[in-house]
Amino acid sequence: MTNQATNAPKIKKESKNKIKVEFDRTPLLERLKAKFLNMYTVKNIVWFLFRFLLLLGVAYVILFPFYSKIASSFMSAQDFVDVTVRLIPKYPTLDTYKAIIVENGYLSALLNTVLLAGSCALIQTFVCCLIAYGFAKFKFKFNSALFLLVVFTMVVPHSTLKLSMFMEFRYFDILGIMNFLGGGVVDKIAIFEDTSMNLLNSYWPLWILSATGLAFKNGLYIFLLRQFFKGVPDELEESAYVDGAGVLRTFVQIILPLSVPMLITVFMFAFSWQWTDNFYTETFFTTTGPTLMPDIVAIPTGLNVTGAASSLYTAAITNTCGLMIILPLVLIYAFAQKYIVQGIERSGITG
Amino acid sequence: MLRKKSDKELGVVKKKSKGASLQAKKSKAGWFFIAPFLLGFILIYLPIIADSIKYSFHEIKVISGGGYDLIWVGLANYKTALFSEEYITALTNGITSLIVDIPTILLFSLFIAILLNQKMIGRAAFRAIFFIPVILSTGLIADIDAGNALTNMMGQEGGAIDTGAGTNAAAEIVSAADLQNLFNNMIVGSELATYVTDMVNNIFDIVNRSGVQMLIFLSGLQGISPAIYESCQIEGASAWETFWKITLPMISPMILVNAVYTIIDSFTSESNEVMNYIAEVYATPGSGNVLSSAMSWMYFLIVILIVAIVAGIFSSVVFYQRRD
Repeated sequence: MTNQATNAPKIKKESKNKIKVEFDRTPLLERLKAKFLNMYTVKNIVWFLFRFLLLLGVAYVILFPFYSKIASSFMSAQDFVDVTVRLIPKYPTLDTYKAIIVENGYLSALLNTVLLAGSCALIQTFVCCLIAYGFAKFKFKFNSALFLLVVFTMVVPHSTLKLSMFMEFRYFDILGIMNFLGGGVVDKIAIFEDTSMNLLNSYWPLWILSATGLAFKNGLYIFLLRQFFKGVPDELEESAYVDGAGVLRTFVQIILPLSVPMLITVFMFAFSWQWTDNFYTETFFTTTGPTLMPDIVAIPTGLNVTGAASSLYTAAITNTCGLMIILPLVLIYAFAQKYIVQGIERSGITG
Repeated sequence: MLRKKSDKELGVVKKKSKGASLQAKKSKAGWFFIAPFLLGFILIYLPIIADSIKYSFHEIKVISGGGYDLIWVGLANYKTALFSEEYITALTNGITSLIVDIPTILLFSLFIAILLNQKMIGRAAFRAIFFIPVILSTGLIADIDAGNALTNMMGQEGGAIDTGAGTNAAAEIVSAADLQNLFNNMIVGSELATYVTDMVNNIFDIVNRSGVQMLIFLSGLQGISPAIYESCQIEGASAWETFWKITLPMISPMILVNAVYTIIDSFTSESNEVMNYIAEVYATPGSGNVLSSAMSWMYFLIVILIVAIVAGIFSSVVFYQRRD
């Protein structure tokens, strides 16, 4: 027993030395071979290369159209006739941009759309946040049944409601109140002379829809935020209640600061989807309304598109319009993209 | 029994003396929070829905003095829609193409999400690039792209440049790899070959439409505890086994969510063939707009049916780690 006990560390020392001596005796090349020429490393390298190439390929598919659009936006009419020109313009020009800014009224469209998309996105983010918090954290009768209504608003295709939405806001009148007032009760007030209001060509239809969580894709935002709030531990709120904070104060001071990345994500979605939206703008704005982004997609009359390869040139011009539309979004995305991944990662969505 | 009852009564009396219980207060607060939606739904959305259904049974006539007249026509609009050959073709084409697209989008977004979840060089950059289409390729821009693809197809001029429609980039890749030939020479069935080549042809489209799904899958993958993977490794499971036994069951709720979202999103997106056709009908003068209402309600019923079937199938195999 004692023998073994005293021997044990000795053996360990010997074997350690042995390994070291063996290690020193093997030449460097052999050592490297042993380290790198096994299945494990090879597999890892192959997987790494495969993954990298695949992602690079898909990234190329995403980015290439943008690159070619940008390239063609600087081309002049001659470039489209010249067969040798592929992606780099020979006669670069800013005419296309100039024409779009001057003739298509880009600046006023920009201003109007910033106002519209900004206000709508703010309202939508706030309202969806409220609604989602209500669905996620409070138990009341019909909670899940009412949430099904949110899903329902997502499922109904917009085009189904196009005509009736137009009519609703063309002859806007909640529960016949205006009709009632106009029908003799206060007929001396000028506003009520018409029995309904025409809200077309104003921002009101979209504001009303935003404020009630019914605008474009709001069901998705409510869903995302609800999942996020479900992941917030109840103990946080309970401790706030114990300390004497009311429900509203808990929401504003505890929950809202927690969910900033998620709110930025939703705001980003709401803003950019409202920005590029052409369904609601088409429905609610006629030609006499304010200039919005969809209105600038047109061929400026100052550019001569009748020559050879005219269809290419026209396509390049519409693409340039598209580029100018998304330019502000690109800037915002560059700032907000890290919050998108962060916000979604924290939401921990489950079915 | 008796004692319990008296306790309860006592509780009730106590509560009454103090005002509403915490539970009641909280449920009131819940109603307060969802009030905007509820009010909007009842005051604005329901009338819109009701009107839309009403219009689909009527003929609409605009009166010159401003205002409009509705004439009850019963099921005539639905009959016209059902007997319109164009509508039926658009419907069948649209639905079959979506049946192909939806599994592709799900598989693709799951695959890319798994890749983007692994540690590697340039992960942040790849993530930023992959979410670009979610933000930038929607609505108006998608419309412009679609318009360009159309003019390209009709024009067929020997292009000096790629005008930038995404289909061009994808088409170039396909022709370079000559995938169709490759697959035709292989033993796999020609149906699979056309499925795969169609998929590659549409890759830009697919990438564009799977952004939100990628985000949802990514969040799901992040939610799986690393301890589970660790114990798997210790037990000696291969990466393949880990995927099938751990990742897939753990992510199955997200697959359900994504399946439903993808169906809804692609069925209601404006680039969809049926929606396009309905929008076209809406724009035709005369009774176009009421006819389009009828058409889209029929379409809506089909969509609901498909969503219900898919949700039913998926929810029977979905695995929930904990039910709370």
